[in-house]
Amino acid sequence: MVDEKQLRDAVKKTISRDDVKYVVGYEKGTSGFLVSPTFAFTPGDADKFIFSPLCVNNLAVYPMLEDKPPLRKGEEPDTRKIGLVVKGCDSRAIVQIIQEKGLKREDVVIIGIPCTGVIDPKKIKEKFPGQMKNVDVKEENEKFVITIDGKIHKISKDELLAEKCKHCEYPAPVLYDILIGKEIKSTKKEDYKEIEPLEKKSLEDKWDYWEKQFERCIRCYACRDACPLCYCKECMVDLLDPQWIRRSVNLSENTAWNLLRAFHLAGRCIGCGECERVCPMDLPLMKLNKKIEKDIKEMYDYTSGIDAEEKPLLAMFKPDDPEEFIL
Amino acid sequence: MKEKFEPNIIGFLCNWCSYAGADLAGTSRIQYPPNLKAIRVMCSGRVNPIFVINALQQGADGVLIGGCHPGDCHYERGNYLARRRMAVLKKLLEYTGIDPRRVRMTWVSASEGKKFAEVVKEVTEDIRELGPMQHFRRENKW
Amino acid sequence: MDKYVLPKDNLSKFVSEMIGKYKVFAPVNDNNVTLFKQIKNPKEINLEFTNSKVPPKNLLFCQTETLFKFTPGTKGKIHPVDFDNGGRTVFGIRPCDAKSLAILDRVFKGDFEDPYYLTKRKNTILVGLSCTQPCLNCFCTSFNDSPASPEFVDILLTDIGDKYFVEVNSDKGKQLVKTMNKLFKSATEADGKKKKEVEKKAKDIITRFQKIDGITEKLDKIFENPFWETVANKCLGCGTCTYLCPTCHCFDIQDETTMTDGGRVRIWDTCMISEYTLQASGYNPRPARMNRVRNRVYHKYNYYPKNFEVIACVGCGRCIDSCPVNIDIIDVVTRAGEVKP
Repeated sequence: MVDEKQLRDAVKKTISRDDVKYVVGYEKGTSGFLVSPTFAFTPGDADKFIFSPLCVNNLAVYPMLEDKPPLRKGEEPDTRKIGLVVKGCDSRAIVQIIQEKGLKREDVVIIGIPCTGVIDPKKIKEKFPGQMKNVDVKEENEKFVITIDGKIHKISKDELLAEKCKHCEYPAPVLYDILIGKEIKSTKKEDYKEIEPLEKKSLEDKWDYWEKQFERCIRCYACRDACPLCYCKECMVDLLDPQWIRRSVNLSENTAWNLLRAFHLAGRCIGCGECERVCPMDLPLMKLNKKIEKDIKEMYDYTSGIDAEEKPLLAMFKPDDPEEFIL
Repeated sequence: MKEKFEPNIIGFLCNWCSYAGADLAGTSRIQYPPNLKAIRVMCSGRVNPIFVINALQQGADGVLIGGCHPGDCHYERGNYLARRRMAVLKKLLEYTGIDPRRVRMTWVSASEGKKFAEVVKEVTEDIRELGPMQHFRRENKW
Repeated sequence: MDKYVLPKDNLSKFVSEMIGKYKVFAPVNDNNVTLFKQIKNPKEINLEFTNSKVPPKNLLFCQTETLFKFTPGTKGKIHPVDFDNGGRTVFGIRPCDAKSLAILDRVFKGDFEDPYYLTKRKNTILVGLSCTQPCLNCFCTSFNDSPASPEFVDILLTDIGDKYFVEVNSDKGKQLVKTMNKLFKSATEADGKKKKEVEKKAKDIITRFQKIDGITEKLDKIFENPFWETVANKCLGCGTCTYLCPTCHCFDIQDETTMTDGGRVRIWDTCMISEYTLQASGYNPRPARMNRVRNRVYHKYNYYPKNFEVIACVGCGRCIDSCPVNIDIIDVVTRAGEVKP
C-alpha cells in the first residue's frame, strides 16, 4: 500500500522547486476503473494525485513527448526539470533513455514508488462489465479489494494482475530521487514461460498464429506512441523517401511494421507492456518483445534499463559473440 | 510440366571483402548459381534489418549478408555489430514462422573466391528446397 | 413504418437467405475482438457483443482503397478501377453506427461526390440491431438518440425475449422483407409495447451524459483558452480515437508503384499526428499536441455543425474506451462548456 499523503507531499515539495517545470502522476479517471495521467504545475495540483493498483500507465513517455517549438531570436530554451511518478518498470525506461542519451539524468526528478503489481485493465473490465460509480481499488494482504458503490469484492491477486507483473524482477525503482515507502525486493523470476508454447510450435503453426494477429492490425501506431522508448524524431514508417513500409493496410506491410517495431526495441524494451495495453486490436505484442528479451539474455547476458552507464546492446560487441549461424 | 523453382536471392556484400571475393570468384571463372543478385554496401554494418525485411517483401526468397572476417573490418567493428543484429533478427524471424535459412550471413574475405562460390551454392540449394517465400510478399494488388 | 416480428428460430434462415443474395457483413469474434466481417454462414455471427471494436464505417469507407491504377513512365496511362456494384447488407449494425453513416453521407455527398463511398452506400441495406446492454461509456442519449432507434437503418431488429421486433424504415427494407415474408409475422400491439420497454431499459442503463447545449457557439469563444493545454498535456498523439471513431473520415492519398505498374491508394489518416498537417516547406500549422487535440474537438462540435447542422459525434464511446490516457470526450466537452471565455 502506498501512502498517498506521502506521495502528495513529495509532489508538492518537487513542484515548489524553481527548477521544476511540472510533475506527472496519476489521478482518478473519468469513469469506471480508468486512471488518468495528470500534471501538477502548482503545489495545489498535487492534491489530486493518487496511486492505486489501477495505475498501469508508464509515465516515462512524457519527457520525450515535450513539444519543442523552434526558439525565437534571443529566446532561451526552457531547461527546467520534469518530475515523474514512476514504478519499477517505468524507472527502467528512464534508465534506458538516459543510457541512450535521449535524456540527461538532471533533466528529470524521479519520485519512485515500490510497486507490488498493477491490475490489467482488460481483465478487470471483463470481470466487472457494465455501468458503475464510486469505484475504489486497494491492495490488502495479497488481495485486491475492489469497492463498487459500497459493495466490497475481494479478489485474489493472480486473477487480475497484469501479465508484466507476474514475473517482474524489478518492482522497486532502480533510479529515483525520492522514494515513497520502503525498498522492496522481488522474489519472482522471469522464466519466459508464457512464450514457450509458441516457441515450440512448428514454423507453419507459428506463422498461422502471427498471420491472424498481424492481419488484424490497423496500423494506428499507438504501440509506438505509447512506448517510452520509441522517441525517434522521425519514425521509419513516416518516411516518404525512401518509403520502406507503405501506408496500405495489408498483411505484408503490417508484418513488416510489427517485426521492425519489435526489432527496433531489441535490447531496449524494458517490458512495461504499454504497447500491448494500448493496442486497440489486442495484438499480443509483448510476445514479440519478450522473445527478443529472452534471446538477448541467452546470447549476450544483457538486461536493459538497469545501468545507465552501460552501452546500448546493439552499439557494442564482444569478439566472442555467438556466431554459429554464420557460414 | 512444372518449371523448376529458381530462387531469387539478394546479397548485401561488403565493399572491402565479400564483394571483392565475389569479384575474384568471377575472374577465377569459378562456377556458381546465378540466383544471387549482389548489392554492394560499404560495410556489413550498413545492413539495416529493414533492408532484409523489405527484400523479403518485394520478392526475394532469401537474403545473404556478406562481411569481412571478424577483426578484418575496414571500419574496425562494423561486422561485429552486424553479427549481433542479424543474430537477433534471425531468431525473431524464426519465432514468427519464417525459416531462418532464408536470412544468412557469411564471412568472405577478398581472397576467398572459392568460399564465396560454395556459400552461394549452399544458400541457393537451401532456399530451392524451402520453395518461394510466401509469408508476407507484397502483392501489389490495387 | 411497417412492423413485424421475427421468431428467433427464423433468424438464421433470414441471414442465410440474405447470404444467398448479397454480400453479408456481420459482427464476428476474431480472437476475442468483435469486428464486422463478411460471412458465409449464419453460424459465424456473434450476437453477444456490445459494439464492434472498429466501426462499420470501414465497410463503406475502406481503410485502404484503390482509386485508380496506372502505368508509370512517359507512356503512362490511367486505368480506372471497377466498382463493386453487388448488393450488400450490414447485419447487426448498432443505431449509433447507422447514424454515423448518415453523418458521413454529408461529407461524401458534398461539393464533390465520392463515387467509391457512394456506390457502396447505395447498394447497402442496413439491418440494425438494437442495443440492449449499452456499455459503460455509451452516451447516445446526450444527442437525443436512442439505443433502439430505427431512424437511420433500413430494418431494425430488437430482441424482445423469444423473438425480434422488426421495424422497417425504408423502401430498401420493405423490398428485403417482401422477398422473404414467410419468415416474418405481423406484430401485435403487445410486441410494440415490449419493444418500448426494452428501449426504456436500455436508455436507463446509460448514465453518462454530455452537455452539448450551445457548445458550438461556446467553442467559438474559447479557441485560445489555456483550457486546451490542460486537456492535451497527457495526449500521446496516437490516433486511436480517430481510427476507431465512426464519424472520422480523413484520408491520405499515396501512389504505390513498382517498375511496371502502380496504384493510387487512399488510406485512413489521423489528425492526431504531426505529419497530418506538415507542409512540404517544413512549416506545420498545428505544431503542438494542443493544436491537434483541440482540432479533433472543434471538428466534431464546431466546424461540422456549422457546415452540416449536425454534431459529428454519435456517442458510441469507442474513443473513451480505447484512449490509453483517458482523454474523455464527454468530460472534455462538458468542461469546455463551463470554461470562462
